Amino acid sequence: MFNGIKKIVNILTLSELRSGMKITAKELVNTKITVQYPEEKTPISPRFRGLHALRRYPNGEERCIACKLCEAVCPANAITIESEMREDGTRRTTQYDIDLFKCIFCGFCEESCPVDAIVETHIFEYAFESRDGSIMTKDRLLEVGDNNEQAISKARSEDSKYR
Amino acid sequence: MIVEIEIDGKLINANTGEMVIAVTDREGISVPRFCYHKKLSISASCRMCLVDVEGAPKPQPACSTPVAEGMKIHTQNEKAIASQKAVMEFLLINHPLDCPICDQGGECELQDVAIEYGSDVSRFSEGKRIVAPSDIGPLIQTDMTRCIHCTRCVRFGSEIAGIMEMGATGRGEELKIEPFLAEGITSELSGNMIDVCPVGALTSKPFRYELRSWQMSSVESIARHDLVGSNLYAQTYKGNVKRVVSGDNDAVNETWISDRDRFSYEGLTHENRLLSPQIKVEGQWKEVEWDVALDFAIKGLNNNILNSRNLAKLGGLASNTATIEELHLMQKLLREIGCENIDHRLNVKDLNNTIHLKSTIKLIELETIDQALVIGANLRLEQPMINHRLRKAQLSGANITTLNVKDFNFNYKVDSHITSPNEIANTLAGVLKALIDKTKQELPEYLSEVMPSEQSVAMANNLLEANNSVLILGEHLINNAQASSISNLTAEIAKLTNSSTLNLTATANSLGAQLVNFMPNSKGMNTNEMLDADMRAFILLDVYPEYDFHHSATALNALSSDDMFVISLNSFGSELISQYSDVMLPMAAMFETSGTHMNINGKAQSFRASVGAPGEAKPAWKILKVLADLLELPGFHYENSAQVMSEVAHQSTQTHEYDTSIDLSKQTAMLETIWMHSPYQSDVLLRHAKSLSASQIGHMNTASMNASTAQALSLNNKDTYLGVPVEIDSIMADQCVFVNSNQATNTGGLQ
Repeated sequence: MFNGIKKIVNILTLSELRSGMKITAKELVNTKITVQYPEEKTPISPRFRGLHALRRYPNGEERCIACKLCEAVCPANAITIESEMREDGTRRTTQYDIDLFKCIFCGFCEESCPVDAIVETHIFEYAFESRDGSIMTKDRLLEVGDNNEQAISKARSEDSKYR
Repeated sequence: MIVEIEIDGKLINANTGEMVIAVTDREGISVPRFCYHKKLSISASCRMCLVDVEGAPKPQPACSTPVAEGMKIHTQNEKAIASQKAVMEFLLINHPLDCPICDQGGECELQDVAIEYGSDVSRFSEGKRIVAPSDIGPLIQTDMTRCIHCTRCVRFGSEIAGIMEMGATGRGEELKIEPFLAEGITSELSGNMIDVCPVGALTSKPFRYELRSWQMSSVESIARHDLVGSNLYAQTYKGNVKRVVSGDNDAVNETWISDRDRFSYEGLTHENRLLSPQIKVEGQWKEVEWDVALDFAIKGLNNNILNSRNLAKLGGLASNTATIEELHLMQKLLREIGCENIDHRLNVKDLNNTIHLKSTIKLIELETIDQALVIGANLRLEQPMINHRLRKAQLSGANITTLNVKDFNFNYKVDSHITSPNEIANTLAGVLKALIDKTKQELPEYLSEVMPSEQSVAMANNLLEANNSVLILGEHLINNAQASSISNLTAEIAKLTNSSTLNLTATANSLGAQLVNFMPNSKGMNTNEMLDADMRAFILLDVYPEYDFHHSATALNALSSDDMFVISLNSFGSELISQYSDVMLPMAAMFETSGTHMNINGKAQSFRASVGAPGEAKPAWKILKVLADLLELPGFHYENSAQVMSEVAHQSTQTHEYDTSIDLSKQTAMLETIWMHSPYQSDVLLRHAKSLSASQIGHMNTASMNASTAQALSLNNKDTYLGVPVEIDSIMADQCVFVNSNQATNTGGLQ
């Protein structure tokens, strides 16, 4: 009985419509949160896990020492590494492949790396046009690293205080 | 005596004198340790195995604390754990944090124990110790900065290898484990140091930086290079053997393997591997499919032999490294088509005059002998695992006497008698005569003229006094002019003195070949007769004439004669093989085929293939089976090599009659040459193993003779003898040359 009266009053006073219009009015003056992708982009956490890269030391020497921990930890078996003793006696990879079709971007490789060689960059806009494009070879990974070294080291230094 | 002790609240029976760690190991209670090794002496230097013993004021090392009645031990209480953690912290002070580039990473004892007992953060902020790297040879890689001074390698060298090549120099912070000499490590058992090293200080050099331990799978296998048949694990990755580590078998090799067993796998990937079947058409080699090659082989056999039923002109020769299955199928195939010319004894000059002594002692019993007479063997290099057992016997008091042409380097004390090859039979006859005189038995006629020398009488006395003696005949006697007499004299001496005998001339799988009767019967021809006869066809199983035959030039001539059809089953190709062969069938090498190897004790050890054969190569038993099928022979329905072996096991073995006469008059005044391939050249896989050839033993290439022999031959130490550099050795028997060579006997070697 009481509920029925309340319902009728609500209908007659247009209260639901007014509360709806109140939100509309508020959003009219508030700043907008929608971004115009791809012209505009949302901010990215320093821990974002995008396309992989292999880094180098400032003197140009590749960081990776072929310890194969990333290969061992990878839950999707996406990483393949072959190693050898380079002429100067150091331990190096001869092959470092990541199959992006297999990769689940968990970030374990990056986590396990003792020399911060394999990292996941903030790059997420990429596509392959051929079947073998999904295999990131050592050369391609190093190239990604070389082209994005600044962004990579910036992200790592921002995150370092939380580690 | 049995005592009762309590470990972690559990009552356990133990033998008096046993160390606590041996009891905990047996009971499956884990106690961390680095320096303790069950086959080495106790040094108690790492202190990692500290346990709490009730009543003792301080924790005690489990490895050097003998059990006593009523002892109460805690391995996991607060005191024990605290002391173990403290020791771990000290060990990690100087250990570098380079696990990611360390080859031991993943199988490192220090890593494993550090997970449990190590702390997350080091309290040590001072500089770490660094040890300069040193090159100790082509087999072992050192990284002594990682060393934790457990001294296992030092103890291995002094106790097992018998040459103390590694040692500790300096004290405290300056303490270093390093080889004393610039040559580095030259022992024939050196690879075991890699296995005993608990950290990455000593790792395998050929394997350096290739793989991590978790990437490989371990397959149990048997070493086929010698007559011991050491148990080992072949560690494989993507169809390749990447490393070999030793297996445990107290009856065979304890826990050690020789370097040739450990590093021979390198040969498997050599570029000389024969990878596809090839046939020779009008003098040109053509790579063909298997069926074409097999048809070609059958057609050749038909043309040269079968169509004319000329089976006496067909011969089958096999290397003694082949498996029992391969040898059985080959002799079965040949005997089914009616051919009796079968042999595996390729390097014997006179097959009617051979060493045919039976081996009557188990390898493990060699440790308990008190008297040994070693005749014609450089045991340390030729049979390292047997030498190791004898060394143990000598260290516990046995008297070892040797009769050799040269004063070989034994790694224990031997009573060495330098005897020229044509004197050995006489010396043994002297021993026998002295024995007969002593035991007052009837003197056989052949001994009537023998005058026992002083040394013969001494040997006879020693053998009579001993409770447990062994007579060992080595490979140097194979081509002795009186081989058969030596063999029979030894058997007679053994009978009179109740000695055991060990015949080391039956190398590799020779006993397996005898088991399947891979020898001609009375109607057939032996190797030498075949090479002299005018044959029309040969089937060869892994034969390499320039190394395998006693007289390789004769063999090559025989094989290359006109109208000869040669079917070669080989694992490696060479120019010589393609010269005389008409069809080459690629076969699987060691580690690539399943099969069975019979060791000196008659212990048949089966193994499976660790990896597949490369290219088109197939296991030889399969090739032989298909050849038999194509020849439409009955009884070759095998699905696997185990079926072949069970057929062999159900077969009665034929005994061969050997000449038991002793003829001391048969002497040669001529110069005797003993030609031994260097230990790392004794079979085809070893000859292709890079690192072994680069080692010091692999480089051995000398023709030793004394000054008077050299003068008689008008040679000096800048010349070569049969292509081998001459070495003048003052302690050598007269009238003989001992060749230890790492090169082919292409010139024929021995005239």
